Amino acid sequence: MDLKTIIFYVFAALLIFAALRVITARNPVHAALYLVLAFFNAGGLWLTLQAEFLAITLVMVYVGAVMVLFLFVIMMLDIDIKRLRQGFWRNMPLAATLGVLMVAEMALVLSTDYFGPVAFPGTKMGADYSNTRELGRLLFTDYVYPFELASIILLVAIIAAVVLTLRRRKDVKHLDPVQQVAVKHSDRLRVLQMPAEKEGE
Amino acid sequence: MITLSHYLILAAILFAIGVVGIFLNRKNLIVLLMAIELMLLAVNLNFVAFSHYLNDLSGQLFVFFILTVAAAESSIGLAILVVLFRNLSTIDVDDLDGLKG
Amino acid sequence: MLENYFPVLVFVVVGMAFGCMPILLGWLVSPHRPDSEKLSPFECGFEPFEDARTKFDVRYYLIAILFILFDLEIAFLFPWATIFKEITATPEVKLFGFAEMLVFIGVLVIGYVYAWVKGALDWE
Repeated sequence: MDLKTIIFYVFAALLIFAALRVITARNPVHAALYLVLAFFNAGGLWLTLQAEFLAITLVMVYVGAVMVLFLFVIMMLDIDIKRLRQGFWRNMPLAATLGVLMVAEMALVLSTDYFGPVAFPGTKMGADYSNTRELGRLLFTDYVYPFELASIILLVAIIAAVVLTLRRRKDVKHLDPVQQVAVKHSDRLRVLQMPAEKEGE
Repeated sequence: MITLSHYLILAAILFAIGVVGIFLNRKNLIVLLMAIELMLLAVNLNFVAFSHYLNDLSGQLFVFFILTVAAAESSIGLAILVVLFRNLSTIDVDDLDGLKG
Repeated sequence: MLENYFPVLVFVVVGMAFGCMPILLGWLVSPHRPDSEKLSPFECGFEPFEDARTKFDVRYYLIAILFILFDLEIAFLFPWATIFKEITATPEVKLFGFAEMLVFIGVLVIGYVYAWVKGALDWE
Protein backbone atom coordinates (compact mmCIF):
# COMPACT_ATOMS: atom_id res chain seq x y z
CA MET A 1 0.00 0.00 0.00
CA ASP A 2 1.39 3.35 -0.93
CA LEU A 3 0.94 6.53 1.05
CA LYS A 4 -1.98 7.80 -1.02
CA THR A 5 -3.98 4.64 -0.39
CA ILE A 6 -3.39 4.87 3.35
CA ILE A 7 -4.41 8.52 3.36
CA PHE A 8 -7.57 7.72 1.43
CA TYR A 9 -8.60 4.97 3.83
CA VAL A 10 -7.88 7.07 6.91
CA PHE A 11 -9.93 9.98 5.60
CA ALA A 12 -12.71 7.70 4.37
CA ALA A 13 -12.96 5.84 7.66
CA LEU A 14 -13.05 9.08 9.65
CA LEU A 15 -15.62 10.53 7.25
CA ILE A 16 -17.97 7.55 7.61
CA PHE A 17 -17.52 7.47 11.37
CA ALA A 18 -18.28 11.19 11.63
CA ALA A 19 -21.32 10.87 9.35
CA LEU A 20 -22.68 8.00 11.43
CA ARG A 21 -22.25 10.04 14.59
CA VAL A 22 -24.01 13.01 12.98
CA ILE A 23 -27.19 11.03 12.54
CA THR A 24 -27.04 9.12 15.83
CA ALA A 25 -25.70 11.69 18.30
CA ARG A 26 -28.08 12.36 21.16
CA ASN A 27 -27.13 16.01 21.50
CA PRO A 28 -27.57 18.21 18.41
CA VAL A 29 -24.44 20.17 19.39
CA HIS A 30 -22.40 16.96 19.13
CA ALA A 31 -24.06 16.21 15.80
CA ALA A 32 -23.01 19.61 14.49
CA LEU A 33 -19.43 19.13 15.71
CA TYR A 34 -19.23 15.70 14.07
CA LEU A 35 -20.50 17.30 10.86
CA VAL A 36 -17.56 19.70 11.14
CA LEU A 37 -15.25 16.66 11.37
CA ALA A 38 -16.98 15.17 8.31
CA PHE A 39 -16.41 18.37 6.35
CA PHE A 40 -12.74 18.44 7.32
CA ASN A 41 -12.25 14.87 6.12
CA ALA A 42 -14.12 15.56 2.90
CA GLY A 43 -11.81 18.53 2.40
CA GLY A 44 -8.84 16.21 2.89
CA LEU A 45 -10.22 13.80 0.30
CA TRP A 46 -10.72 16.65 -2.14
CA LEU A 47 -7.08 17.58 -1.62
CA THR A 48 -6.05 14.09 -2.71
CA LEU A 49 -8.21 14.66 -5.81
CA GLN A 50 -6.27 17.86 -6.54
CA ALA A 51 -9.27 20.10 -5.96
CA GLU A 52 -7.35 22.38 -3.62
CA PHE A 53 -9.44 25.49 -4.06
CA LEU A 54 -12.69 23.67 -3.34
CA ALA A 55 -11.18 21.94 -0.33
CA ILE A 56 -10.20 25.29 1.16
CA THR A 57 -13.56 26.78 0.23
CA LEU A 58 -15.34 23.89 1.90
CA VAL A 59 -13.42 24.43 5.10
CA MET A 60 -13.76 28.21 4.92
CA VAL A 61 -17.44 28.45 4.03
CA TYR A 62 -18.86 25.32 5.60
CA VAL A 63 -16.78 24.83 8.70
CA GLY A 64 -16.19 28.54 9.22
CA ALA A 65 -19.65 29.86 8.52
CA VAL A 66 -22.45 27.37 7.92
CA MET A 67 -21.66 25.10 10.85
CA VAL A 68 -21.24 28.12 13.11
CA LEU A 69 -24.74 29.13 12.03
CA PHE A 70 -26.01 25.64 12.86
CA LEU A 71 -24.40 25.87 16.29
CA PHE A 72 -25.93 29.33 16.82
CA VAL A 73 -29.39 27.99 16.03
CA ILE A 74 -28.96 24.97 18.29
CA MET A 75 -27.75 27.19 21.13
CA MET A 76 -30.50 29.72 20.51
CA LEU A 77 -33.41 27.33 20.60
CA ASP A 78 -34.50 25.63 23.76
CA ILE A 79 -35.05 22.15 22.38
CA ASP A 80 -36.69 19.32 24.23
CA ILE A 81 -34.31 16.58 23.10
CA LYS A 82 -36.11 13.77 24.92
CA ARG A 83 -39.29 14.41 23.02
CA LEU A 84 -37.51 14.63 19.70
CA ARG A 85 -35.74 11.34 20.39
CA GLN A 86 -39.04 9.51 20.90
CA GLY A 87 -39.41 6.64 18.46
CA PHE A 88 -35.84 7.16 17.33
CA TRP A 89 -35.03 3.46 17.04
CA ARG A 90 -38.46 2.47 15.79
CA ASN A 91 -37.57 3.14 12.17
CA MET A 92 -34.12 1.64 12.57
CA PRO A 93 -34.79 -1.79 10.96
CA LEU A 94 -36.41 -0.26 7.89
CA ALA A 95 -33.80 2.50 7.61
CA ALA A 96 -30.87 0.13 8.07
CA THR A 97 -32.24 -2.32 5.51
CA LEU A 98 -32.76 0.47 3.04
CA GLY A 99 -29.33 1.97 3.63
CA VAL A 100 -27.51 -1.35 3.36
CA LEU A 101 -29.47 -2.21 0.22
CA MET A 102 -28.61 1.12 -1.34
CA VAL A 103 -24.93 0.78 -0.57
CA ALA A 104 -24.85 -2.86 -1.75
CA GLU A 105 -26.54 -2.06 -5.04
CA MET A 106 -24.39 0.96 -5.72
CA ALA A 107 -21.23 -0.91 -4.74
CA LEU A 108 -22.12 -3.73 -7.13
CA VAL A 109 -22.55 -1.29 -9.97
CA LEU A 110 -19.67 1.00 -9.12
CA SER A 111 -17.04 -1.67 -8.50
CA THR A 112 -17.28 -2.98 -12.05
CA ASP A 113 -14.57 -2.37 -14.60
CA TYR A 114 -16.66 0.36 -16.12
CA PHE A 115 -15.42 2.73 -13.40
CA GLY A 116 -12.11 0.93 -13.03
CA PRO A 117 -8.56 2.16 -13.59
CA VAL A 118 -8.63 1.27 -17.28
CA ALA A 119 -11.59 3.45 -18.16
CA PHE A 120 -10.61 6.25 -15.74
CA PRO A 121 -6.84 6.26 -15.34
CA GLY A 122 -6.76 9.57 -13.51
CA THR A 123 -4.69 12.63 -14.25
CA LYS A 124 -1.28 13.79 -13.15
CA MET A 125 -0.87 17.53 -12.99
CA GLY A 126 2.45 19.29 -13.43
CA ALA A 127 4.19 21.10 -10.64
CA ASP A 128 3.09 24.52 -11.92
CA TYR A 129 -0.57 23.55 -12.11
CA SER A 130 -2.77 25.96 -10.20
CA ASN A 131 -6.23 24.70 -9.46
CA THR A 132 -7.54 28.15 -8.53
CA ARG A 133 -6.20 29.71 -11.71
CA GLU A 134 -7.72 27.02 -13.94
CA LEU A 135 -11.04 27.30 -12.14
CA GLY A 136 -10.99 31.05 -12.55
CA ARG A 137 -10.17 30.76 -16.23
CA LEU A 138 -13.23 28.55 -16.73
CA LEU A 139 -15.53 30.38 -14.33
CA PHE A 140 -15.07 33.82 -15.89
CA THR A 141 -15.33 32.71 -19.51
CA ASP A 142 -17.62 29.73 -20.14
CA TYR A 143 -19.57 30.02 -16.91
CA VAL A 144 -20.19 33.75 -16.73
CA TYR A 145 -23.96 33.46 -16.62
CA PRO A 146 -24.06 30.88 -13.83
CA PHE A 147 -21.57 33.09 -12.00
CA GLU A 148 -23.84 36.11 -12.24
CA LEU A 149 -26.82 33.94 -11.29
CA ALA A 150 -24.94 32.92 -8.16
CA SER A 151 -24.90 36.57 -7.13
CA ILE A 152 -28.67 36.71 -7.62
CA ILE A 153 -29.08 33.65 -5.41
CA LEU A 154 -26.94 35.25 -2.73
CA LEU A 155 -28.99 38.46 -3.03
CA VAL A 156 -32.22 36.51 -2.61
CA ALA A 157 -30.74 34.77 0.42
CA ILE A 158 -29.71 38.10 1.99
CA ILE A 159 -33.16 39.60 1.51
CA ALA A 160 -34.91 36.45 2.72
CA ALA A 161 -32.74 36.31 5.83
CA VAL A 162 -33.39 39.98 6.65
CA VAL A 163 -37.13 39.66 6.05
CA LEU A 164 -37.45 36.46 8.06
CA THR A 165 -35.35 37.20 11.10
CA LEU A 166 -35.17 40.97 11.51
CA ARG A 167 -37.40 42.05 14.31
CA ARG A 168 -37.45 45.48 15.92
CA ARG A 169 -37.66 45.36 19.65
CA LYS A 170 -40.12 47.66 21.27
CA ASP A 171 -38.96 47.26 24.84
CA VAL A 172 -35.32 48.18 24.38
CA LYS A 173 -34.33 51.46 26.00
CA HIS A 174 -31.19 52.57 24.33
CA LEU A 175 -29.61 55.84 23.37
CA ASP A 176 -28.51 56.53 19.86
CA PRO A 177 -25.02 58.07 20.04
CA VAL A 178 -25.47 59.70 16.65
CA GLN A 179 -28.43 61.67 17.92
CA GLN A 180 -26.65 62.43 21.15
CA VAL A 181 -23.69 63.91 19.35
CA ALA A 182 -25.78 65.77 16.78
CA VAL A 183 -27.76 67.67 19.39
CA LYS A 184 -27.55 71.48 19.23
CA HIS A 185 -27.71 73.79 22.16
CA SER A 186 -30.85 75.37 20.72
CA ASP A 187 -32.65 72.05 21.18
CA ARG A 188 -31.90 71.98 24.86
CA LEU A 189 -31.91 75.61 25.94
CA ARG A 190 -34.38 78.26 24.93
CA VAL A 191 -33.40 81.88 25.58
CA LEU A 192 -36.40 84.06 26.19
CA GLN A 193 -36.42 87.80 25.70
CA MET A 194 -38.19 89.39 28.63
CA PRO A 195 -38.49 93.05 29.28
CA ALA A 196 -36.87 94.16 32.52
CA GLU A 197 -39.23 94.98 35.31
CA LYS A 198 -38.71 97.88 37.67
CA GLU A 199 -39.22 97.53 41.36
CA GLY A 200 -42.34 98.99 42.81
CA GLU A 201 -44.14 99.53 39.58
CA MET B 1 -4.06 2.28 -6.17
CA ILE B 2 -7.16 4.30 -5.51
CA THR B 3 -9.54 4.26 -8.44
CA LEU B 4 -12.70 6.16 -9.21
CA SER B 5 -14.75 3.27 -7.82
CA HIS B 6 -13.33 3.85 -4.35
CA TYR B 7 -14.50 7.44 -4.28
CA LEU B 8 -17.88 6.61 -5.79
CA ILE B 9 -18.56 3.86 -3.27
CA LEU B 10 -17.48 6.13 -0.43
CA ALA B 11 -19.91 8.76 -1.70
CA ALA B 12 -22.64 6.11 -1.97
CA ILE B 13 -22.07 5.11 1.65
CA LEU B 14 -22.18 8.76 2.70
CA PHE B 15 -25.40 9.33 0.77
CA ALA B 16 -26.98 6.23 2.32
CA ILE B 17 -26.00 7.49 5.79
CA GLY B 18 -27.77 10.75 4.95
CA VAL B 19 -30.92 8.89 3.90
CA VAL B 20 -30.85 6.74 7.04
CA GLY B 21 -30.37 9.90 9.08
CA ILE B 22 -33.55 11.34 7.62
CA PHE B 23 -35.40 8.15 8.56
CA LEU B 24 -34.07 8.12 12.12
CA ASN B 25 -34.35 11.82 12.97
CA ARG B 26 -37.63 12.45 11.33
CA LYS B 27 -38.75 14.61 14.27
CA ASN B 28 -35.72 16.82 14.71
CA LEU B 29 -35.61 19.47 12.01
CA ILE B 30 -32.03 20.55 12.74
CA VAL B 31 -30.60 17.07 12.34
CA LEU B 32 -32.73 16.67 9.21
CA LEU B 33 -30.97 19.69 7.75
CA MET B 34 -27.61 18.20 8.75
CA ALA B 35 -28.51 14.93 7.01
CA ILE B 36 -29.30 16.92 3.88
CA GLU B 37 -25.86 18.53 4.16
CA LEU B 38 -24.33 15.05 4.33
CA MET B 39 -26.14 14.00 1.17
CA LEU B 40 -25.00 17.16 -0.61
CA LEU B 41 -21.45 16.42 0.52
CA ALA B 42 -21.71 12.94 -1.01
CA VAL B 43 -22.89 14.40 -4.30
CA ASN B 44 -20.08 16.94 -4.25
CA LEU B 45 -17.57 14.18 -3.60
CA ASN B 46 -18.85 12.39 -6.71
CA PHE B 47 -18.51 15.53 -8.76
CA VAL B 48 -14.96 16.19 -7.62
CA ALA B 49 -13.93 12.55 -8.16
CA PHE B 50 -15.32 12.49 -11.69
CA SER B 51 -13.74 15.87 -12.38
CA HIS B 52 -10.35 14.51 -11.35
CA TYR B 53 -10.55 11.23 -13.23
CA LEU B 54 -12.05 12.74 -16.40
CA ASN B 55 -9.63 15.69 -16.30
CA ASP B 56 -12.53 18.10 -16.73
CA LEU B 57 -12.77 21.08 -14.42
CA SER B 58 -16.48 21.66 -15.07
CA GLY B 59 -17.30 19.20 -12.31
CA GLN B 60 -15.38 21.28 -9.79
CA LEU B 61 -17.15 24.42 -10.93
CA PHE B 62 -20.44 22.66 -10.46
CA VAL B 63 -19.40 21.84 -6.90
CA PHE B 64 -18.62 25.51 -6.37
CA PHE B 65 -22.12 26.49 -7.44
CA ILE B 66 -23.63 23.70 -5.37
CA LEU B 67 -21.74 25.02 -2.35
CA THR B 68 -23.18 28.49 -3.01
CA VAL B 69 -26.73 27.26 -3.40
CA ALA B 70 -26.45 24.91 -0.42
CA ALA B 71 -25.13 27.64 1.85
CA ALA B 72 -27.98 29.93 0.81
CA GLU B 73 -30.42 27.06 1.28
CA SER B 74 -29.24 26.15 4.75
CA SER B 75 -29.18 29.77 5.89
CA ILE B 76 -32.75 30.35 4.70
CA GLY B 77 -33.81 26.96 6.06
CA LEU B 78 -32.40 27.82 9.47
CA ALA B 79 -34.06 31.25 9.31
CA ILE B 80 -37.42 29.57 8.69
CA LEU B 81 -36.63 27.19 11.55
CA VAL B 82 -36.00 30.11 13.90
CA VAL B 83 -39.26 31.82 12.89
CA LEU B 84 -41.07 28.52 13.34
CA PHE B 85 -39.62 28.06 16.80
CA ARG B 86 -40.59 31.60 17.74
CA ASN B 87 -44.21 30.95 16.77
CA LEU B 88 -44.68 27.35 17.94
CA SER B 89 -41.77 26.91 20.42
CA THR B 90 -41.08 23.49 18.98
CA ILE B 91 -39.12 22.05 16.08
CA ASP B 92 -40.90 18.71 16.07
CA VAL B 93 -41.98 17.93 12.53
CA ASP B 94 -45.11 16.24 13.87
CA ASP B 95 -46.32 19.55 15.29
CA LEU B 96 -46.23 21.29 11.93
CA ASP B 97 -49.80 20.39 11.08
CA GLY B 98 -51.27 23.87 10.88
CA LEU B 99 -52.49 23.31 7.34
CA LYS B 100 -54.18 19.97 8.20
CA GLY B 101 -52.86 18.57 4.96
CA MET C 1 1.92 16.17 -5.65
CA LEU C 2 0.92 14.98 -2.20
CA GLU C 3 4.46 15.64 -1.00
CA ASN C 4 3.65 19.33 -1.15
CA TYR C 5 1.23 18.84 1.71
CA PHE C 6 3.79 17.39 4.06
CA PRO C 7 4.12 20.68 6.04
CA VAL C 8 0.35 20.71 6.42
CA LEU C 9 0.43 17.17 7.76
CA VAL C 10 3.18 18.10 10.21
CA PHE C 11 1.15 21.13 11.23
CA VAL C 12 -1.98 19.04 11.81
CA VAL C 13 -0.11 16.41 13.81
CA VAL C 14 1.71 18.98 15.96
CA GLY C 15 -1.53 20.91 16.49
CA MET C 16 -3.39 17.78 17.57
CA ALA C 17 -0.57 16.74 19.86
CA PHE C 18 -0.51 20.22 21.35
CA GLY C 19 -4.21 20.01 22.08
CA CYS C 20 -4.33 16.43 23.29
CA MET C 21 -1.10 16.10 25.27
CA PRO C 22 -1.95 18.40 28.20
CA ILE C 23 -5.32 16.70 28.69
CA LEU C 24 -3.80 13.24 28.35
CA LEU C 25 -0.90 14.07 30.66
CA GLY C 26 -3.17 15.60 33.23
CA TRP C 27 -5.39 12.57 33.12
CA LEU C 28 -2.48 10.15 33.40
CA VAL C 29 -0.42 11.92 36.04
CA SER C 30 -3.06 13.32 38.36
CA PRO C 31 -4.48 11.18 41.16
CA HIS C 32 -8.03 9.83 40.75
CA ARG C 33 -9.95 9.83 44.02
CA PRO C 34 -13.46 10.93 43.10
CA ASP C 35 -16.23 11.22 45.65
CA SER C 36 -19.74 12.54 45.42
CA GLU C 37 -18.81 16.00 46.71
CA LYS C 38 -16.01 16.40 44.19
CA LEU C 39 -18.17 15.33 41.30
CA SER C 40 -21.13 17.54 42.16
CA PRO C 41 -21.48 20.76 40.17
CA PHE C 42 -20.21 23.78 42.03
CA GLU C 43 -21.41 27.32 41.63
CA CYS C 44 -20.16 29.68 44.35
CA GLY C 45 -21.18 27.36 47.11
CA PHE C 46 -24.78 26.68 46.10
CA GLU C 47 -26.60 24.44 43.66
CA PRO C 48 -26.46 25.71 40.06
CA PHE C 49 -29.62 27.53 39.09
CA GLU C 50 -29.84 26.71 35.42
CA ASP C 51 -28.34 24.83 32.52
CA ALA C 52 -24.76 25.79 31.78
CA ARG C 53 -25.72 26.29 28.14
CA THR C 54 -27.27 29.70 27.98
CA LYS C 55 -29.38 30.72 25.05
CA PHE C 56 -28.04 33.03 22.41
CA ASP C 57 -29.65 36.21 21.30
CA VAL C 58 -31.39 36.07 17.93
CA ARG C 59 -29.45 39.12 16.83
CA TYR C 60 -26.23 37.09 16.49
CA TYR C 61 -28.06 34.91 14.05
CA LEU C 62 -28.78 37.54 11.43
CA ILE C 63 -25.16 38.69 11.56
CA ALA C 64 -24.06 35.06 11.06
CA ILE C 65 -26.29 34.63 8.00
CA LEU C 66 -25.01 37.84 6.43
CA PHE C 67 -21.48 36.66 7.21
CA ILE C 68 -22.03 33.38 5.32
CA LEU C 69 -23.38 35.11 2.25
CA PHE C 70 -20.58 37.67 2.05
CA ASP C 71 -18.08 34.91 2.81
CA LEU C 72 -19.25 33.15 -0.35
CA GLU C 73 -18.88 36.37 -2.26
CA ILE C 74 -15.25 36.52 -1.14
CA ALA C 75 -14.79 32.89 -2.21
CA PHE C 76 -15.81 33.93 -5.72
CA LEU C 77 -13.30 36.76 -5.66
CA PHE C 78 -10.27 34.48 -5.16
CA PRO C 79 -10.19 32.81 -8.60
CA TRP C 80 -10.84 36.17 -10.18
CA ALA C 81 -7.91 37.70 -8.33
CA THR C 82 -5.54 34.94 -9.42
CA ILE C 83 -6.33 35.41 -13.11
CA PHE C 84 -6.79 39.17 -13.03
CA LYS C 85 -3.33 39.86 -14.47
CA GLU C 86 -4.04 37.46 -17.28
CA ILE C 87 -7.37 39.17 -18.00
CA THR C 88 -5.88 42.62 -18.22
CA ALA C 89 -3.09 41.32 -20.45
CA THR C 90 -5.58 40.09 -23.06
CA PRO C 91 -7.03 43.13 -24.88
CA GLU C 92 -10.30 41.57 -26.10
CA VAL C 93 -11.50 40.49 -22.64
CA LYS C 94 -9.89 43.31 -20.70
CA LEU C 95 -13.03 45.22 -19.81
CA PHE C 96 -15.29 42.18 -19.86
CA GLY C 97 -13.32 40.43 -17.16
CA PHE C 98 -13.53 43.55 -15.04
CA ALA C 99 -17.20 44.28 -15.73
CA GLU C 100 -18.43 40.79 -14.90
CA MET C 101 -17.06 41.10 -11.39
CA LEU C 102 -18.47 44.62 -11.13
CA VAL C 103 -21.93 43.24 -11.98
CA PHE C 104 -21.49 40.45 -9.44
CA ILE C 105 -20.47 42.81 -6.67
CA GLY C 106 -23.11 45.35 -7.76
CA VAL C 107 -25.89 42.81 -7.30
CA LEU C 108 -24.58 41.97 -3.84
CA VAL C 109 -24.27 45.65 -2.96
CA ILE C 110 -28.03 45.89 -3.50
CA GLY C 111 -28.44 43.27 -0.79
CA TYR C 112 -25.96 45.06 1.43
CA VAL C 113 -27.77 48.39 1.05
CA TYR C 114 -31.08 46.65 1.70
CA ALA C 115 -29.77 45.11 4.92
CA TRP C 116 -28.29 48.45 5.96
CA VAL C 117 -31.45 50.46 5.25
CA LYS C 118 -33.60 47.92 7.05
CA GLY C 119 -31.34 48.26 10.08
CA ALA C 120 -30.11 44.66 10.06
CA LEU C 121 -26.59 45.86 10.78
CA ASP C 122 -27.57 47.99 13.76
CA TRP C 123 -26.97 46.67 17.24
CA GLU C 124 -29.76 48.19 19.24
